[in-house]
Amino acid sequence: MIKISGLKKWFDTPRGRVEALRGIDLEIAEKEFCVLLGPSGCGKTTTLRCVAGLERPDAGELEIAGQIVNSPARRVYVPTEKRDIGMVFQSYAIWPHMNVFQNVAFPLVRGRKRFGRELVAEKVRRALHLVQLDGLEDRPATDLSGGQQQRVAMARAMVTEPKILLMDEPLSNLDARLREQMRVELRKITRAVGVTTLYVTHDQAEALSLGDRVCVMHGGEILQIAPPDEVYARPANLFVAEFVGEMNFIKGKLAAGCIECALGALRLPVPVPATAGAVTLAIRPEHVKVDSLDGSSNSLVGTIASKNYLGDAALLEVEVNGVTLLAKLPGDTDIAVGQKAFVTLPPERWRVFAE
Amino acid sequence: MSIVTDAAAARPAAEVKVPGLGLFAGGLTALLVVLVGAPLLMIVLMSLRTGFPGEGGPLTLANFAAVYSNPGTYKVLANTLLFASGTVLVTLVFAVPLVWLLMRTDLPFKGTIYVLMTVGILIPVFLRTIAWILLLSPRIGLVNQWARQLFGLEQPLLSLYNIPGMAFIQGVSFVPSAFFMLAAAYRTMDPALEEAAYTSGVSKLQTFLRINVPITLPAIAGVMVYLFMTAIAVFEVPAIIGFPARILVLSALIFTSTNPPTGLPNYGLAGAYGAVMLAAGLILAYFYVRLVQHGKKYTVITGRGYRPREIALGRWKWPGLAFALLYLSMEVFIPFLVLVWVSLLPHLQLPTAEAFAQVSLDNYAHIFDHVGALPFINTAILMFAVPTATMVLSVLISWVVVRTNLSFRGSLDTLAFLPHAIPGILLAVGLAYLGLAYRTYFPVYGTIAIIAIAHTITWIAYGTRTTNGVMIQVHRELEEAGKVSGASTATVLGRIVLPLIAAGIFNSWIWISMLSYREVTMALALGTRKNLVISTVVWQFWGNGWVPQVAALGVILVLFALLVVGGLKLGFGRLGEWQH
Repeated sequence: MIKISGLKKWFDTPRGRVEALRGIDLEIAEKEFCVLLGPSGCGKTTTLRCVAGLERPDAGELEIAGQIVNSPARRVYVPTEKRDIGMVFQSYAIWPHMNVFQNVAFPLVRGRKRFGRELVAEKVRRALHLVQLDGLEDRPATDLSGGQQQRVAMARAMVTEPKILLMDEPLSNLDARLREQMRVELRKITRAVGVTTLYVTHDQAEALSLGDRVCVMHGGEILQIAPPDEVYARPANLFVAEFVGEMNFIKGKLAAGCIECALGALRLPVPVPATAGAVTLAIRPEHVKVDSLDGSSNSLVGTIASKNYLGDAALLEVEVNGVTLLAKLPGDTDIAVGQKAFVTLPPERWRVFAE
Repeated sequence: MSIVTDAAAARPAAEVKVPGLGLFAGGLTALLVVLVGAPLLMIVLMSLRTGFPGEGGPLTLANFAAVYSNPGTYKVLANTLLFASGTVLVTLVFAVPLVWLLMRTDLPFKGTIYVLMTVGILIPVFLRTIAWILLLSPRIGLVNQWARQLFGLEQPLLSLYNIPGMAFIQGVSFVPSAFFMLAAAYRTMDPALEEAAYTSGVSKLQTFLRINVPITLPAIAGVMVYLFMTAIAVFEVPAIIGFPARILVLSALIFTSTNPPTGLPNYGLAGAYGAVMLAAGLILAYFYVRLVQHGKKYTVITGRGYRPREIALGRWKWPGLAFALLYLSMEVFIPFLVLVWVSLLPHLQLPTAEAFAQVSLDNYAHIFDHVGALPFINTAILMFAVPTATMVLSVLISWVVVRTNLSFRGSLDTLAFLPHAIPGILLAVGLAYLGLAYRTYFPVYGTIAIIAIAHTITWIAYGTRTTNGVMIQVHRELEEAGKVSGASTATVLGRIVLPLIAAGIFNSWIWISMLSYREVTMALALGTRKNLVISTVVWQFWGNGWVPQVAALGVILVLFALLVVGGLKLGFGRLGEWQH
């Protein structure tokens, strides 16, 4: 549905050229929900805005539904208003001089395809029903709460039933509880309509829960494209491992058949980078097993340095061989600070990254 | 400029508790009531009295009867309305496209154009008017002289001596203020509002018409009301062009009633004219405040401050640049070049070989003999006393408005904004009446002090707007962190608050100093032989027909202003940047 190939964008500043996108390749299938995830300045918003036509790339090609919409080499540029898209902005961009009905009806009345009055009213009613704002048609835009503005923005983006829905951090201005509610609802709505969605966020929880596929970006490049569970279980490199979820990192060295680190020489049944030399070992806190009683033959002995009780879970800092490991245990564990405990690190849970 | 901040509303839960605060704030409010109220009361009082100031006598409506039974008055009112409307029209024709070009497109040399607009504010309106008269006066104007020589025209090619001519000069002079007010409205507009229309499939033109224009409409309407309110009260253009052309407007009538070329001053008539102007000013100010508040509803807090995409002008780049240059020529280049040319010659003449042979700096060499030392000393006094008094008062008022929870802080803020609605000429005439009628209590008539007082009252509105803004920026927690660290109130003020607000206050101080330096209307209305300042001297020279001397002094006036502002921009530029 969307095909991005070799997309590049740069800005010339007095201090030299800044590359915002260094060659993005991404294909999004019909009805797929694809999330662009990354820290600020990684190029995710620039990519989205290129798809919208609000930003013009300097190289590469962009295809929407089989039609090339942007290609600097072929001198093709389809302006934003001619692309079959809907977009939700971070600030919602609800037009303050119109009421809810006028905002949602605007794309139908002044947009690509124009409709008769009755059809417009019917489509607006259906869009508002979809976002559960029935009956708010006459409310002035300036009298809406943040959550309601968010829903109006959604209704306006979907009212033309576009092939592609673009969302630029749409939930980041909502407070935490509302954000989680909207996240669930957003998934339901896009599923129900079956629209191809490109979604930008810097919030990994949002990315993991929403996306059919997550695309992790950094420094204008894509580091990994994979379904959420794979991104979490098998990060493609050190940056993805650091950015998505929590991980323990330990420096190590590749030796013959094993990896030497502060925890000893480990033989791991996991892929190891082909390059020899220094590596980083990583393991998630929930895979670090801490037990006060029976240790197996593989266990190491550690001391509990701190305990951070979170209710449903407890985060323990365990010192083993001079290395501090973070372990995530059920909240009701009775292991206390200062005591000795056995630490088990399942070999298949380790991930090894090149430096 | 004139941005109304509801500083009082911004911080409802202030909790400064200082013993004697109520007394201090009450005293401050009382002082402000006297400063702003007394001149206004005098306008009303003098409109109800006949005879000389201080003669007393019963209150009467005779002045109003005399003024409003005279059909000439209605002619003047019509002139005033025509002149003001024309001025607003001219200003918008230039300001709206300039704002769009400079804020939303990729026009080349934007930075330079921006700076030159600021420079334009420093050229006093009366100097620009004089320069244009030297070009376009039907008899002596250089353009008309040249047209007569070249084409043998009997009639002047172009003449400024009519209402469109006046409106043109005044309108061109208002453009920078209108530009900066509208630019602020554009800056607070979220570019996503436009982009949301594009992604809805709406064309650029439709987006401009249905989104940009309606959203900026309250701001444009606010600017229109503000300009109209100012235009019905301006004096410089109506005096310099209007008097010789016998086109009178209200401000000119008020001035001639109190400073007649022959005969005795008639403060009663001035009061009766002034009452109308005052009423119109206050009503328009009310609408202005309402519009600004309405416009605020439309400002949206943007998510990330994404730099809006500039509209590529393509081949329209050069016409756009030409438009900006055309405006800057009318506002800055042409007037300044004319003044420089005229100042180098013994008398006004076209640039011929003969004229070039006579070019010399004689006029500059002898300028001090003509002027004397007093106007320079007086101007220097104004340039230090006015900004200092204004900023001290503004800081104190803003502190009460922003940092305390006193019940009347809102009224104090409104009171401080009120001078914005009072025409300078009225304020000056009211103060003059006060000084004449009650000279035993208020012995300042004819001194430089009375001009300083008039200037201070006028610019308190501007001063408090900046100090309100600066104080809101200094987050209360910065102060509280200081106190928690164990610093005394005095240390917190001296070491934390003062360094943070210093740059902003210094910038306003300089700006007010420059405004006081170039001000002429109030200085003239309050002027005697003893309190001459440089701007009134230029005015007198013009009245005497000493054209080359006017030009020379004008050039010095402008160059000095450029030197001060340019030097400070270089030296303190970083100080100002850090503030924002």
